[in-house]
Amino acid sequence: MKKSKFLKNNIGFLFILPWLIGFLVFKAYPFASSLFYSFTDYHLFKGMSEFTLQNYIEVFSKPLERKALIVTFKYAFMTVPLKLVAALFIAYILNFKIKGVNFFRTAYYIPSILGGSVAIAVLWRALFKDDGLINGLLAIFGIETVHFLSDPNWALFIICLLRVWQFGSAMVIFLAALKGVSVDLYEAASIDGAGKWRQFFSITVPLITPVIFYNLITQLVQAFQEFNGPFIITAGGPRNATTLMSLLVYNNAFKNYKMGKASAQAWVLFVILMLFTALSFWSQNHWVYYADDDGR
Amino acid sequence: MKKKALAILMTSAMAATILAGCGSSSPAPAASEPAAAPAAEEKAEEAPAEEAAEEAEAPAEEAAEAPAAEASGDYEECTIKFDWWGGDSRHEATNKAVEAFMAKYPGINVEVNFGAWTDWETARALEYQSGTGSDLTQIGSNWIPDYDGDGTTFIDLNTVSDVLDLSQFNASDLEKCLDPTGQQAGVPISMTGRIFYWNKTTFDKAGVEIPKTIDDLIAAGKTFQEVLGDEYFPLSLGEYDRALFMSFYIQAKSGEPIIAEDGTLNVTEEQLADGFAFIQSLEDNHVIPTIAALAGDGNVTLNENPKFIDGRYAGVFEWDSAPLKYTSNLAEGQELVVGDELDFGNGKTGVSAKVSMAFAICASSQHPHEAAMLMNYLLNDPEGIAIMASERGVPASKIGFDTLNDAGMIDPLIAAAHNGVYAANPMFFSPKFDNGELKGDGAAYIDTFSGLSYGDYSVEEAASILYDAYTNVCE
Repeated sequence: MKKSKFLKNNIGFLFILPWLIGFLVFKAYPFASSLFYSFTDYHLFKGMSEFTLQNYIEVFSKPLERKALIVTFKYAFMTVPLKLVAALFIAYILNFKIKGVNFFRTAYYIPSILGGSVAIAVLWRALFKDDGLINGLLAIFGIETVHFLSDPNWALFIICLLRVWQFGSAMVIFLAALKGVSVDLYEAASIDGAGKWRQFFSITVPLITPVIFYNLITQLVQAFQEFNGPFIITAGGPRNATTLMSLLVYNNAFKNYKMGKASAQAWVLFVILMLFTALSFWSQNHWVYYADDDGR
Repeated sequence: MKKKALAILMTSAMAATILAGCGSSSPAPAASEPAAAPAAEEKAEEAPAEEAAEEAEAPAEEAAEAPAAEASGDYEECTIKFDWWGGDSRHEATNKAVEAFMAKYPGINVEVNFGAWTDWETARALEYQSGTGSDLTQIGSNWIPDYDGDGTTFIDLNTVSDVLDLSQFNASDLEKCLDPTGQQAGVPISMTGRIFYWNKTTFDKAGVEIPKTIDDLIAAGKTFQEVLGDEYFPLSLGEYDRALFMSFYIQAKSGEPIIAEDGTLNVTEEQLADGFAFIQSLEDNHVIPTIAALAGDGNVTLNENPKFIDGRYAGVFEWDSAPLKYTSNLAEGQELVVGDELDFGNGKTGVSAKVSMAFAICASSQHPHEAAMLMNYLLNDPEGIAIMASERGVPASKIGFDTLNDAGMIDPLIAAAHNGVYAANPMFFSPKFDNGELKGDGAAYIDTFSGLSYGDYSVEEAASILYDAYTNVCE
């Protein structure tokens, strides 16, 4: 009887055991061990000889690491706002009763399914290389070859464009939020003489701020973790113009086997991401409207 | 009760999904299964290869007299894993050889894992480190010092010399595959050096003779530009190619390898600056495209670059063992020929040669004896040799070379390239030259040569950075 009760009270643990094992082995252990390694000179094949803060100092002092940090910030600050604006704009349009709206919703969503794949990154490379399709189209209008992939200024923009193009999933979430805004409010505003833009900024945006906030956080996290695009399209080049922190971590860990250094870089990236997330949560008090009792 | 049953069912399904996910990392196909689609032209080569295999039966009987071959009759039924990198034609030949091996030794099942070079080393290095490496593994010349520094990654092949005939190899070649503890960690498959392959079709179109000296090459650059246009170059060099070519230039001048056999650095910062200036002069004279131009081509390897395929990049500086991946990709009507090692004006070429690749057996192998049997089959058994032909270069094994040579089976392009390298009396090529600190992504070669090409570094700055990197590696 006692045994049966014990089993009844704890059977839930049994059910979550597969997940728990996966979490402990593949998440918690690497997470903790990487923190330990980040304070060492651990090399995969040469082992560990000392505890040091050098890895963290180098993240901010070595030119390559510093450049990777700057490039990562540039990437995040370019892609996140552009992607949110594109997603909201298209969602707003697709919220109208227009002919073939379901087709357009599907069409705009497809890139976010395909966009992160290796095949699309390879396609992107083929589109933007010197004798690729885009330059071919520009040539028709007499525009000289633009070195999208070899010019450090252009290369990062091309990588950003790939990310922005994948606005579909954010768009679907915005679309769901837009559907939740009461039609009565628009009707009342319309009677009062408010135009579409006024309605958008004074009714739509304030009411969907929780969803904007949610998309902001998820897009921010994804942007700081971006890897596929720069890895496949430009391999971090030209002249490290597209070497994001994630790529640097990969190169140090799996190309140069400097696990200590890679761990420190990963932790710096993690802390930066935490700070931005914390900042975002703090800022929501000033701009996010929740329709509960206290309006927050 | 129903709910509990449903919960148990769901949990089981979830666990099964997780476990299936763990095992879904593309298991290596068994050799008996078709694994890679062979190129059409390579299929056409099947018949001569099979004929040669039959011709090789006589030497096979001779080889059977060797002690190693006698002992191989005693083996366990088991499954062993074998991995290698290469192009389609190598994959096809090796898969055939593996199938023939399994037919010859029933009970030994070989699972194969093969692919292109890109990121291959990273994946294998992690397997070696985690003790999950294949039983038999194809390794690069620098892998022994890089991954087997303490002699625990690969076994000492002397321990399996009952089935692996090491007497077929020159002692000096075997020495190059010793690990730092003095164990025989690998067996060289072939020796190799870099040489030039020229697109004769493009050179003919430009009205330029195939270069024999560095002056011929520089003159060809201007003529290509004038006759064929800005998009045509007599040679294409990536960052690592530039590092190698620069080493030839410096070695031709100094008469000694830039890294000595004892691992000490044999080059000064001034010599490196002179070398960088030489490489820059090639860009300035339209001999090679800039690094920016190559990046603009889409970050692809040269053999996959459309400008090489259609003949706009008319020269390749490549290992003597690797021309087939270029010839198989060339557009119809283009012809690739082997050139001479270039004379730098003083009658010297500065060429160096190394172990192209080697076979090793991972220390984690449960069946080293059977893995050694497969290695011996591929390197020293005339049947395996005939199937493999010169897919991994000109064999370092004596019986391998004799078998292919007698049957006329060494690819003429590879044979000509190999002879070209060795006619130039190559110097020692240190594995340290390929150290990850120099050759890896974002490492010294890429940084200095792309920095120089983009104008971020002067020759002196590039020389200083590379000299520091060399010093670190050679310390």
